[in-house]
Amino acid sequence: MRLTKEEQKMLNGEYGATVQKCMKVLVKLGEIYGAECMVEVKSVHSPGVSYRVAGDAGLGYVVDASADAKFKIPCTLNTIGIDEDAWKEIGFDEYFASQQIKLSDAYKKMGAIPCNTCTPYLVGSIPMQGEHVAWGESSAIAFVNSVLGARTNREGGPTALAAAVCGRVPKYGLHLDENRKGTCHIDVQVPLNSDKDYAALGYFVGSVVGQGVPVITGVKERPSIDNFKTLGAAAASAGAVALYHVVGFTPEAPTYEAVVNIELETVVFGQDEYDKVCSKFAQKGDIDFVVIGCPHASILEIEAVAKLLANKKIKTGFWICTARQTKSLADRMGYTKKLTDAGVEIICDTCPVLCQTLTQRNYKTIATNSGKMAHYAPGLWHLQPVLLTLEECVKVALEGKWED
Amino acid sequence: MQKTFMLKGRCIVEGKAEGYALVTKDCISFMGTVSPKTGQIIERKHEIEGEYLKDRILVFPQSKGSTGGSYMLYDVVKNGVGPKAIINRAAESVVTIGAIVSDLPMVDQIDINQIKTGDYLKVDATAGTVEVTREE
Repeated sequence: MRLTKEEQKMLNGEYGATVQKCMKVLVKLGEIYGAECMVEVKSVHSPGVSYRVAGDAGLGYVVDASADAKFKIPCTLNTIGIDEDAWKEIGFDEYFASQQIKLSDAYKKMGAIPCNTCTPYLVGSIPMQGEHVAWGESSAIAFVNSVLGARTNREGGPTALAAAVCGRVPKYGLHLDENRKGTCHIDVQVPLNSDKDYAALGYFVGSVVGQGVPVITGVKERPSIDNFKTLGAAAASAGAVALYHVVGFTPEAPTYEAVVNIELETVVFGQDEYDKVCSKFAQKGDIDFVVIGCPHASILEIEAVAKLLANKKIKTGFWICTARQTKSLADRMGYTKKLTDAGVEIICDTCPVLCQTLTQRNYKTIATNSGKMAHYAPGLWHLQPVLLTLEECVKVALEGKWED
Repeated sequence: MQKTFMLKGRCIVEGKAEGYALVTKDCISFMGTVSPKTGQIIERKHEIEGEYLKDRILVFPQSKGSTGGSYMLYDVVKNGVGPKAIINRAAESVVTIGAIVSDLPMVDQIDINQIKTGDYLKVDATAGTVEVTREE
């Protein structure tokens, strides 16, 4: 790899042991993936910030780094394993919380921006088209590459840390024009009317393309930010989708030809394919837990639930997971009170995918509008999932059951 | 009857390891597919659900899903319940960085269809080779 003088100094240890270790990791990655040089990145979104994910191994890794390193560029933090302000009331385990706080403190010591959300793009970190960044969090990666047109590979925790410390990543993969072209054509032949529809499409896309770049046609109306959020999260759970194009709507794909330069295999997403995804997440009967906000809920999603639940009482557990900034807005708009009165808990900083299991609550089944949550819930939480629209999720919460 | 043959791929992380293969055609997210405490496959309906990684050579196409998977691979290895080596068709960045920090021998660009669960593998990751021995 060709390194600049500055990068060579980092590698030689002139900026301390952690910078050196980080640069070694980046050079190693660059060599594996055939990068010719490094590229300077403008921001990092760090995954692996939940103690549930980092474990003691990751905690040690980050604490060691924090002994002598500082972040060179803005580094936002992904969802952690507790609600930092209300973990006691919610019932998170004390030992787990103390380990989480150590981990968060180590990141903060290095200068991280502790937004603790999987949707940093909803709370102020918005990379621009063509900008090189180093982001983790599979759903956020799909969002910034696809919807914003910024450029990142799928960065795991150690790479994101190295990028934040060195301000660089090896220039390979999605940093290069040629790798942003489509590798598979998905033709949508069903109407997309709800969040559930986008989740199902995303799940299908992830299952079909694996690591490729899907080009989606047949989308008739402009998807909302929330639709894109849902689509990318599901695609990045079922597969390793870091970039997708929706022809006519995402910035790099004004036309099919703009993102396709070879003949692609076409895969149809029709009613059969839609039904097949839904049948995977089709729990019926009594439902005891409802989750909205995977990825973290926008203020519009919170508003939608608050309006549906005004002056009502729910029968299930119900989490709305969101960024703390968004909750502040919900407080001001009166939604937090409406939702709390109805029995909903607004959870900040964390989510059921990344927090430790609240075993004492003994939930068995979950309704969610998130393909990502539905995918992870059975393995991580032993919860049997049903994938529904936001409105249907609220109905489940009011009735305590789902009968199609 | 015993059959032995050699597969050639690319070194991702140097080192040598040998053991019995655990093979799946499904992708793996170390956050979600694997329990870091026990090394068991916990993703529902995964092809190798219920299997344990400990002391085996894990063979799968590539990583998928959560970017938290890098630290979770590191954690599963540090907890002593991880695989001895990883063999992929195409090393995806999330598992690659996890294997690097775990110092776990890893090879990719291997035709994984040639390997079956239960084969005895000698992985020379530095050379990028996998020797497969099968009882038939």
